[in-house]
Amino acid sequence: MYNHTGSRGSGAPGWILQRITGVLLFVVVLTHFFVMHANPASGHTYAAVLARMHDPFWKMFDLTFITVGLWHGLNGTWGVFRDYKMKPAVSLTIYGVIILSGIAFWVLGVNTILSF
Amino acid sequence: MAYQPKPPEGWVKTNLKYTKERGSVAWILHRITGLGLTAYIYVHIYALTSLTQGPKAFDDEMKLFQTPVFHVLEWLLFSLVVYHALNGMRIVIVDWANGARYHKKLLAVVYGLGVVLFIGMGILMFREPIANMFASLR
Repeated sequence: MYNHTGSRGSGAPGWILQRITGVLLFVVVLTHFFVMHANPASGHTYAAVLARMHDPFWKMFDLTFITVGLWHGLNGTWGVFRDYKMKPAVSLTIYGVIILSGIAFWVLGVNTILSF
Repeated sequence: MAYQPKPPEGWVKTNLKYTKERGSVAWILHRITGLGLTAYIYVHIYALTSLTQGPKAFDDEMKLFQTPVFHVLEWLLFSLVVYHALNGMRIVIVDWANGARYHKKLLAVVYGLGVVLFIGMGILMFREPIANMFASLR
């Protein structure tokens, strides 16, 4: 059980992936924010989204963002919890909630993008 | 049974002890902003599912999000983004570019550049209301 919740093992693969996704997100999130949030007047109608989603670049961009962003956020969240001593049942529950909600919201987001 | 030392004080007090160094404050802020951004990405993904319900559902929802209150919240969200992004880069430099020797200088850059970018983003986001404000003064 400990193996599944990451209580043993060095955690190095998670650490290096957190680093790689972090550097990727530095570019992706800031680009997303400047393109989508910096100008409140543009691009927030259904028609504008439709036009953007027909561009393979933005489609891939958003799919990457959802996948990498969720993984980085949830791996980080698990990292926070892992710093505290937890009973195995508590640890496994939190880990389960993180994994299941992560998969559910990934499906939700990907489904929204691929509906175009 | 493994040896379990009891913390001398309560959980909160023990954790607050970390705040004596600037680097520790940066670490705590990195966690808080990270958890906040993770919570936000869930809200963001859920909010945009209205796109699958057709143009009307989405445009009605966007009317709410394109109000001044939500624009200010969006701006405040950027403070989390910019801090987590810049401090994340600081962590990379500390680990891989001998940054442990100058991490407090880097921290000053993080806060300084962060404030500049935050204000810059504010000017960018609210350029129309700001322009209108100055136009009314003339």
